[in-house]
Amino acid sequence: MKRVMLILSAAIFFAPLAVTGGLSFLGAENTATLQNYDDLLFNCFIFYPMFWNSVLYASVITLAQFLVVIPCAFGFAQAKFKGKGALFVFYIILMMMPLQVTILPHYIGLRDMGLIGTRLGIILPAVFSPFGVVVMRQYMKGMEQSAIEAMRLETNSIIRVIVHTVLPQIQVCVLAVGLFVFADSWNMLEQPLLFLNREALQTLPVFLSGAGQYEGGVLFPAAVLFMIPVWLLYGFFSENLEKGLTLGDVS
Amino acid sequence: MGGIEMKIRISWNRKCILCLLPSLAGIAAFFAAPYVRVLYYSLIDNQFRRNFAGLSNYIQTWRNEYFQLALRNSLMLMVLAVPALMVLALLVSLGLSYGVGRLRALRTAFVLPMVIPTASAALVWQVFFSGWDNVLPVYLLFIWKNIGICVVLMTAAFACIDRGIFEAARMDGASAWPLYTKIVIPMALPAVLFSALLSIVNSFRVFKEAYLYYGGTNYPPNHAYTLQYYMNNNFLKLDYQSLSAGAVMTSVLVFLIVMGGLALQRRVDP
Repeated sequence: MKRVMLILSAAIFFAPLAVTGGLSFLGAENTATLQNYDDLLFNCFIFYPMFWNSVLYASVITLAQFLVVIPCAFGFAQAKFKGKGALFVFYIILMMMPLQVTILPHYIGLRDMGLIGTRLGIILPAVFSPFGVVVMRQYMKGMEQSAIEAMRLETNSIIRVIVHTVLPQIQVCVLAVGLFVFADSWNMLEQPLLFLNREALQTLPVFLSGAGQYEGGVLFPAAVLFMIPVWLLYGFFSENLEKGLTLGDVS
Repeated sequence: MGGIEMKIRISWNRKCILCLLPSLAGIAAFFAAPYVRVLYYSLIDNQFRRNFAGLSNYIQTWRNEYFQLALRNSLMLMVLAVPALMVLALLVSLGLSYGVGRLRALRTAFVLPMVIPTASAALVWQVFFSGWDNVLPVYLLFIWKNIGICVVLMTAAFACIDRGIFEAARMDGASAWPLYTKIVIPMALPAVLFSALLSIVNSFRVFKEAYLYYGGTNYPPNHAYTLQYYMNNNFLKLDYQSLSAGAVMTSVLVFLIVMGGLALQRRVDP
């Protein structure tokens, strides 16, 4: 009985994805056709730049976050200074703030730097999201201190310590955070809507939101193609998600 | 010797602190400093005259009928959809962790939606629920999208519980439900509470779900008009005063919820 319920609910949760796939092949008079894909790929030229924009924003944000987040989490784990605990609580609270609180400060910051309407305006605020810092710092609590101490006898360079002893130990967590951040940036809608004014720089969620003037037929194939990259990434890295996101006791 | 070692330690500590700087600088530039501006904007009468206006922006925003509608809808979502999500996530996590056979393969169905872009899913929602004149579809989209992270956190916490205790109690003839409610859930309570906190916070973020479900309009039906719509629409009008007052009030509300949640979590942490 329990088993049946679980299988049934899994089927319900999976259904939207399956139906999206199915509807993308639905032609006029309920026949299966590739016409929709043909329309999208060969007649809807705005799709390519938008797809490319999404790829660009999500990849750059994820990679740049690693550069900012890994040292920062390491600093939190190792440094001793007054107010460290309070500063970390600030990171947790900031991580929890909804976009509609943070987006106005982001907008003002970007406006003052003249970055509204540019690609950097989409990328920069996202790079400094506190999520990765909080998750990795928690994970680093389980790190072996002795390996770090041993490495420090060999080198005085903090970069070498991080690359050679810290990264191998937190690899699982780094991949989990990367997957999460990529999926989150891939899903970005509000920032491009509010920060960008040229269609050429927009992302796929904006294309799919129907705010534009695109015909219904091309939307489902676009939705399918839009899912595939994150689906693949999930396929490769989902094991890390379980082991790397030990956010349970954040306090 | 001691002196040199001391010096190395101090310089190492200084390097560790330096590691924090890029992140701190970015947060200062894109959040902290502008947030101070937001506070300032919320206290002046308009962008040009800049007279001190006391709390009048707050009072005006608080009395605004759209702000009240938005606040009410956001709280409704928190009170109705979040508990439903939590119960469902708990049942699914228990089933995945303690069910017999190869049920683990099913977890993909629950976790995958977490990474699927909302924009892709919203199209199916429009087809499934065309003609529904209530907010339920948005709640369902919220649950669909958010159950993944709860299941990941809860099953990870369940996996840390010693199977021995569970098996021993089962050998003694204890039936399943008391085992879950008396052993498993209490031991995983910090993770369960954290999932709840995360879900409450995420319930403030459903703008994307609603916006996409209602096909990119800025004026959804009244029952779906949440705080984020209020903010978004004032954004488009560039009404900095209401926007700032709204942002400050929302941030205070979220701050209180998070601090309360963390305090509660610390109390149950064994």
